[in-house]
Amino acid sequence: MRVLIVEDEARLANNIAEALRERCGFAVDCAGNGTDGAAMTEFKHYDLLLLDLMLPGQDGLSIVSQVRRRNDRTPILILTARDQPAQVVELLNAGADDYLTKPFDLGELLARAKALIRRGKGAPQPELMVGRISLNTVEQTVRCAGELIDLSPTEYRLLEYLIFRPRAIVSARELLEHLYDYNWQHHSNVIEAHISNLRKKLRAVGEETTIATLRGRGYRLEAPEQQQ
Amino acid sequence: MSGAAIRTRSLSRQLIGGVLLAELFCAALFSAVAVGHEMHGRRRAFDVMLRGRADSLMGAVQDAEDPEDNVTVDPTELVLPAQDVYEVLNPSGRLLGHSPASSVELLTALNSSHAPGYFNFTVNRERYRAVRFDGVRVIDREEHGGYHRTVTVLYASPTRYMWHGAVEAVWFYIAASALLLAVTGIALVWFLRRRLSPLQELAAIASRVSTRSWEFVPPTVVLRTSELAPIALSIEVLLKGLQQSFERQRQLTGDAAHELKTSIAVLKSSLQLLSMAPRTAEQYEAGLEGLLLDCERTEELVSRMLMLARLEETPAEQSESCDLRSVVRAVAERLQPLAELKQVVLEIKGNEPRFVAMSSGDADVLCSNLIVNALQNSISYGRVSVVVQAHDGVTELQVVDQGEGIPHAALPHVFERFYRADHSRSRASGGAGLGLSICKAIVERANGTIQIKSVVGSGTEVMVTLPALPTPVRRATDRPPAPRA
Repeated sequence: MRVLIVEDEARLANNIAEALRERCGFAVDCAGNGTDGAAMTEFKHYDLLLLDLMLPGQDGLSIVSQVRRRNDRTPILILTARDQPAQVVELLNAGADDYLTKPFDLGELLARAKALIRRGKGAPQPELMVGRISLNTVEQTVRCAGELIDLSPTEYRLLEYLIFRPRAIVSARELLEHLYDYNWQHHSNVIEAHISNLRKKLRAVGEETTIATLRGRGYRLEAPEQQQ
Repeated sequence: MSGAAIRTRSLSRQLIGGVLLAELFCAALFSAVAVGHEMHGRRRAFDVMLRGRADSLMGAVQDAEDPEDNVTVDPTELVLPAQDVYEVLNPSGRLLGHSPASSVELLTALNSSHAPGYFNFTVNRERYRAVRFDGVRVIDREEHGGYHRTVTVLYASPTRYMWHGAVEAVWFYIAASALLLAVTGIALVWFLRRRLSPLQELAAIASRVSTRSWEFVPPTVVLRTSELAPIALSIEVLLKGLQQSFERQRQLTGDAAHELKTSIAVLKSSLQLLSMAPRTAEQYEAGLEGLLLDCERTEELVSRMLMLARLEETPAEQSESCDLRSVVRAVAERLQPLAELKQVVLEIKGNEPRFVAMSSGDADVLCSNLIVNALQNSISYGRVSVVVQAHDGVTELQVVDQGEGIPHAALPHVFERFYRADHSRSRASGGAGLGLSICKAIVERANGTIQIKSVVGSGTEVMVTLPALPTPVRRATDRPPAPRA
């Protein structure tokens, strides 16, 4: 998952980014002002937007309206130091999904970020199932019939991204865009290597669910037919 | 006021009451004069009537055709009211005739000694007005040129009827006045209500104003009323000013809260990030270092906010003064390392001591804020020049840099609190957007002005103008209070 933080207070942005990377395994990009932030939302790489309300350049509210006008459904979490009810109402009406007032609890911010991403992908529960595999987004663990599968952080992130979209074809490019931030050198063969490892680990526990490679098109998480 | 509610008095009611009272007074006066005039007229008419009846009685005096050649009264041809009383006497006092229906008592009362003329008397509670006169009656004018007979006529009539008429007239006047009063009262109420409606509208609109809703638009009917237009306009101006200052205050509180909350959010998230997972000693050390920096920034923000509050709350002391030139030199010396770091030449001009009315602490803050700003905005290998000079009774402090300049649109806002022309960069460089606000507060406290000119791409010039003080001969504390502009 990839998150965009638009916050002019660099120290705060760094702390949030660090926590999201460390605790959730997300790829995180930061923008220091509203103009850059608004431009970055246009790539549609992000699974969550974290916006400060008072920003130089373009304020958070106008970024929200701009994103929603494009019919972009990316979840938006607003950070604000002002908590007048009228302002909150205005924000939510403009299309924001949630808000937190500064100073917030970092743990709460992470929990809300994860919940918003889950719900944005149509899964309100923290545990996702495909075949016999269950993935817990809170613990960041993957089990097959109750047995823990040991995955590297990248493998976990890959599986997490794919499990939200079972049976859909996901391109290597999309995976790159959503799993790595801008500081990462984009090489699609890196993805291929991680997918291959993931496949092996799933096979090792005897799971029939696998990740098919569709040459030139991408990857697909394929679960065995349930009727069997 | 004492705790009791103030009794309100209605302007329109007072006006109506006043006008009606004046009308009542006029009506009373008019009625009194009219009644007096009426009475006088009626009395005169009565007297004329009395005399007329008495004269016609004279006509009834005839020769008695008796041996003494007397005269007698023959009233058979006369038509006189039955209640009237009369007597006719000859000069010797003998009664020649009297009204036939009158009682003896009445006749006696009439004939009591009176001088000729009109008089009043009362018999059995009946008031009479009477006339007595001596007349000469010529009898048998055709025969021998006539005989002249002198007679005294006494004639009285009850005044009851006359007074009855007068009372009727008085009642008529009173009723007419009361009717007039009632009609004008009603008309007045209607008229005043109608004419005073702009006042009521103004009051209603003014009462709707509150700290939440500042809208005050006087209706055109109020603005067209010459007495109310100035009030409405001054209320409008006052409210606009109040609203602006209220909004400014609210904005300021909100901005201050925003800055403080953001600072605390940084501290809190740094601490939480550090404690989220077990860390190595090096990670803890780096984290603590960062936290210390965050703390220092918060501290600086708070101290700047408090300084601004102090500058704006407490008035300047009369005796404060310092030499601006020596303060500039001291500050420049202190900032030389920063200038070297930025590779900027810091140049100070002005050798004469220039005394201004501010404490050396405030002057230090003013100069260091302006010079640090100039250094930070300056390009590498640029030049920042600070000039202290005096002319025409003012001391000028001029700080010029060769920096990027301030965008034209941002210039009017640079003295606003928490304003940052380039938000992220100033925040990154540690500014809270309070430096120039503090400078402005210090300068204004010393009755000076501060102006900023800037051209994007070539640089910024800040000009501070302060009233010049004479150079003290003795120590500054021994000086008499400085003259102030």
